[in-house]
Amino acid sequence: MRITHEIEITPTAVILDGQTLTQTETGEKMLIELYRQYANDYPKFFKLDTLSRLGFIAAELLLKAEGATRFVPTEDRAVILANRSASIKNDTDYLETISEGNYYPSPALFVYTLPNIVTGEIAIRNKYLAETAFYVLDKPEQLTPIIETTLNAEHSELNSAIVGWCECNNANSFYAKLQIIWKN
Amino acid sequence: MEELIEQLKQQIIEALNFEDMTPADIDANAPLFGEGLGLDSIDALELIMLLDREYGIKLADPKSGKEVFRSVRSMAEYIQKNRTK
Amino acid sequence: MIYCLAHHIISPLGDGSRANWEAVQTGRSGLRFYTSRFADVEPFCASLFDEPQLFVPLCIHSAEQAISETQIDAASTETVFILSTTKGDNLDLISPAKQIVQHFGNPNEPIVVSNACTSGVCAQITAKRLLEAGVYRHAVVIGCDIQTRFIVSGFQAFKALSPEPCLPFSPDRKGLNLGEAAATIIYSNQLSAVNLHPVWALVAGSIHNDANHISAPSRTGEGAYRCLQDVLQGVQPENIELVGVHGTATPYNDAMEQVAIERAGLAHATISALKPYFGHTMGAAGVLETIICMLTAKKQFIKMLSGFGGVNAAIRLKCE
Repeated sequence: MRITHEIEITPTAVILDGQTLTQTETGEKMLIELYRQYANDYPKFFKLDTLSRLGFIAAELLLKAEGATRFVPTEDRAVILANRSASIKNDTDYLETISEGNYYPSPALFVYTLPNIVTGEIAIRNKYLAETAFYVLDKPEQLTPIIETTLNAEHSELNSAIVGWCECNNANSFYAKLQIIWKN
Repeated sequence: MEELIEQLKQQIIEALNFEDMTPADIDANAPLFGEGLGLDSIDALELIMLLDREYGIKLADPKSGKEVFRSVRSMAEYIQKNRTK
Repeated sequence: MIYCLAHHIISPLGDGSRANWEAVQTGRSGLRFYTSRFADVEPFCASLFDEPQLFVPLCIHSAEQAISETQIDAASTETVFILSTTKGDNLDLISPAKQIVQHFGNPNEPIVVSNACTSGVCAQITAKRLLEAGVYRHAVVIGCDIQTRFIVSGFQAFKALSPEPCLPFSPDRKGLNLGEAAATIIYSNQLSAVNLHPVWALVAGSIHNDANHISAPSRTGEGAYRCLQDVLQGVQPENIELVGVHGTATPYNDAMEQVAIERAGLAHATISALKPYFGHTMGAAGVLETIICMLTAKKQFIKMLSGFGGVNAAIRLKCE
């Protein structure tokens, strides 16, 4: 397996292929700043929960770094992400809408109460028709054998995948480390 | 009525996370779905919840929403007639 | 391929795979009407345990029953636990998984698959890949979800719940019913470890995204169709006797599945839609419904699921 691009995003730093990007904002506002700087053509971004925003913007920056043709339906690239806390930030936001005495459950929040939605958002944006999968793991290194066996599975049409750790505890506490990884 | 329309525009922007928009950007007569604002099915459900939360209107049959959610103006007209708070 | 060593289901319809299968055969349903189970939510129809169950003990019970029918060592480094769930124990997925492996003295970190409604099928695909690659020899795949105020309120806000027992693939279908259950399948990469008859092998698995919408399935069933095409490699569609569908009884899901099944040349196959008996058991669905298909089919079947996030998954099991 071969890693061609890597990005790390914390609430205060963005490092793409070893280069630090200079941002003026921090936390969730920094994710919006990154969107405006590097994408800005996908208004749906504003509807995403923080976990999806984090994974979406990390994938955007990786794909910009890669510089290949985008938005063409493709079946050879998977999206395989993991974290420890599933969709806890958005779960907490949804819980607020069903508090007793103020019960107005929000469908727009409920739909993001699954961690795999971030993989779906990346697939929809990029027209990836291949596998999307989300795992909840104690340690990031547990993802390695899962990625290897996914890419090398029998009859697999996959050549590459966007993989990594994508975790969001609240608007000011998140961590993403995503890579583009190739089978050969 | 115009006041209600302005208030409603602000509530829609907040409920649907249109962080890039101001009430002035929304044409009260433009279609909400399809063209115009381009809302989807989840947005429709969120608007149903907004009617309940802000105006005490329970829209039981989602199909009746089609007329109500034609535009911001049609929503405001429906609210004026049916609001319980 | 990997082989099924044992399986177990616990649901409101009974404790044990056979008891649950017999309930289905005799037309018993776990669906009941609930008016005051959870504060604030509107009355709903679901398949719930009479006594509210705790997530971890329910998983442990199911896994223990299945393990007891095998010779595998649950505490071995060669055995991995894979948990399929969407909301786990009160929104926490990793802690209950760790508690389960601790209970069995298993030294490996557990893997939790959280791929929406497809999780139970995806967890079996994960098991297949890890076992075929020799990372582990045995996999204990547990699917479980417990219904909560959180989940029911959300599906109600989605207007996705049917006020009556659901009617999959019927023109009169009005939506889904939720359910709770735990189910376990134990797989091995060694045929010699099998003493269950008939011998079922998981021969193919596939996951595809629709790349269309996070909550509305593709009208043309893109992802589901691609999954079916993949798992049909090397077999004639007419040799598939049974297709276990998701069959949530929401208008769009069932229409999408119908399109995908027809496009894949599987229109002849018997359709198994189990939600009228168990409700939608979420993380348990893929495991539970695969077990019922194993007890129903004679030679070969496909189990498919679709879910939020645009994801679809299918597996093919064959009687050896």
